[in-house]
Amino acid sequence: MSAPASSSTAPGSTAALAGKFLIAGIAGLVLTALGFLLTNNHQGVALSYLVGISYWTAVSIGMLLLVMIHHIVDAGWSTVIRRQFEHGTSAFLWLAVLFLPLLISAWVKPGLVWPWMDLSHEIHGGHTVGTDILYQKKASFLNVRMFTGMTVGFFIVWVWLSSRLRKASFAQDSDGEVKWTFMNRKTAAFGIPLTALALSFAAIYWMKSLEYHWFSTMYGVWFFANCMRAAMAFGVMITCWLYARGDYKGIYNTNQFHCLMALAYAFVVFWAYVTFSQYFLIWNANVPEETFWYNIREHGDWVYVGMLILFGHFFFPFLFLLSYRRKSTRGPALFISIWIATIILIDLCYNILPALKDAENQPLPFLSINLLWVLTSVVGVGGICVWAYLRSFPTAKLIPIRDPRIVESLTHHEATAP
Amino acid sequence: MKKNYGIVAAFDTTPALYHACEQVRDAGYSQWDALTPFPIHGLDFAMGVRRSKVPRFSLAGGITGFCTGMSLIWWANAYEYPLVVGGKPYFSPMFAFPISYELTILFTAFATIGGMFLLNKLPMHYHPVLKAPQFVRAMDDRFYIVIEANDPKFNPAQTRALLEQAGGKDIAEIDE
Repeated sequence: MSAPASSSTAPGSTAALAGKFLIAGIAGLVLTALGFLLTNNHQGVALSYLVGISYWTAVSIGMLLLVMIHHIVDAGWSTVIRRQFEHGTSAFLWLAVLFLPLLISAWVKPGLVWPWMDLSHEIHGGHTVGTDILYQKKASFLNVRMFTGMTVGFFIVWVWLSSRLRKASFAQDSDGEVKWTFMNRKTAAFGIPLTALALSFAAIYWMKSLEYHWFSTMYGVWFFANCMRAAMAFGVMITCWLYARGDYKGIYNTNQFHCLMALAYAFVVFWAYVTFSQYFLIWNANVPEETFWYNIREHGDWVYVGMLILFGHFFFPFLFLLSYRRKSTRGPALFISIWIATIILIDLCYNILPALKDAENQPLPFLSINLLWVLTSVVGVGGICVWAYLRSFPTAKLIPIRDPRIVESLTHHEATAP
Repeated sequence: MKKNYGIVAAFDTTPALYHACEQVRDAGYSQWDALTPFPIHGLDFAMGVRRSKVPRFSLAGGITGFCTGMSLIWWANAYEYPLVVGGKPYFSPMFAFPISYELTILFTAFATIGGMFLLNKLPMHYHPVLKAPQFVRAMDDRFYIVIEANDPKFNPAQTRALLEQAGGKDIAEIDE
């Protein structure tokens, strides 16, 4: 295959589209803020906002990891799509800004989102958090200062790594120096463990600590699996968008598409393996200290949400993606990617929203007004993230045109006849 | 009496072979093959080879493995010798799942290997092209197309003409 024509490497204007996403994002954020200020449902709106920001942070973390995994294994085929993930990680800075309201709430009104921050918060049995031995033993880890410091640290790690990777990759477009590839490989070598630690602790602090009595060694890995699946689902959507625009014609062939879907497929199984392991070990050991977390999630309509996740997050995508044709054709791949992206959101709801309790200390139902706030939060944070991506999009070439692996990626073995 | 196995033609470069394969494919032959010292990307497309049927064996093997695991544990623990272990039900897909999952993988692997052998008619201890001395170079630096005599479109004169027109060299007939 010959080198792409110069016209297809100069991305068309995305300013108008970016403006629309910015407006949608601001609208979503304003609605969420109004919901918080004008209703009595402060905790519900705040937790819904946590769902929204965790969701988009997961997407960005996944993209960051995909870029770093690409560099650390010196991958070939994924060079052509790496640039889009680099644009995607430009959202971290905005995610950090958007996380501020939750951090401020931790200081201004402790216990609003995370119950353990309020030592006078009453827990089951008439005790308070402050007198709870299980909290006292964890207090050096679970305190507002640690929470703030760690959260700031997570974002510093993500912003720093993604800007390093972006800078080197974009610089290579102009000078073609191979040193940028080596620099990115080194960044990936220390960046992967750093990101892995940051995302695990983020999952623990932001989500798992909502039930601070509970513990699961699989939790960080569960979040990692969702990050990867979300990033690849959005990668497929971006790919299809670039096809529709015409940018990717003759650049991104069926076999690269199939590779991306095959990797996404592998993570369907990985997610299932991790999530099942967490459930199975707790089910098998049957220790009340652990099982209560799932008991909460068998109350009311949450049991159906659990079933939806079991069948919709694993069985359906697994069986759907078995066939080669569906992994290599844009229509079905786009459909299942949107499906996966949606079900990941429900998975995060399943992990976060049961922290909202009624008077009997039972979780509030899934089908409630809070879904509206989840929607406004996801649109709000998502609008800003997509805007950040689209704003970054015209600042660099469509593909890393002078990457040493770009020819290998462009000529990646064409697929056989269908 | 010696039976004709087919006609062989040699090519010196991969593009020559690639385009010759396209011509043989477009002429409508089905019983033929290309012999090369190394895999050539896209050659299967040039030859009009459809995707392998091995995945169907794999799927059948996987389903068999999963059902074997589930039914084995149900039969052993809930039917033939009901036994309470750790206060758990006699049967639950929970604890049967890891075993079923392992057997899914194991049987998929067996079926994949088995299906591959079956479809390739392996093990094959004899093949007529091994008798032709020029094929030593198919393992070194030359590329060959063999069109078999049992192809419905095979005609000694026309097939030879097609290979000549496609740029084939040292065209020869080989015996069964």
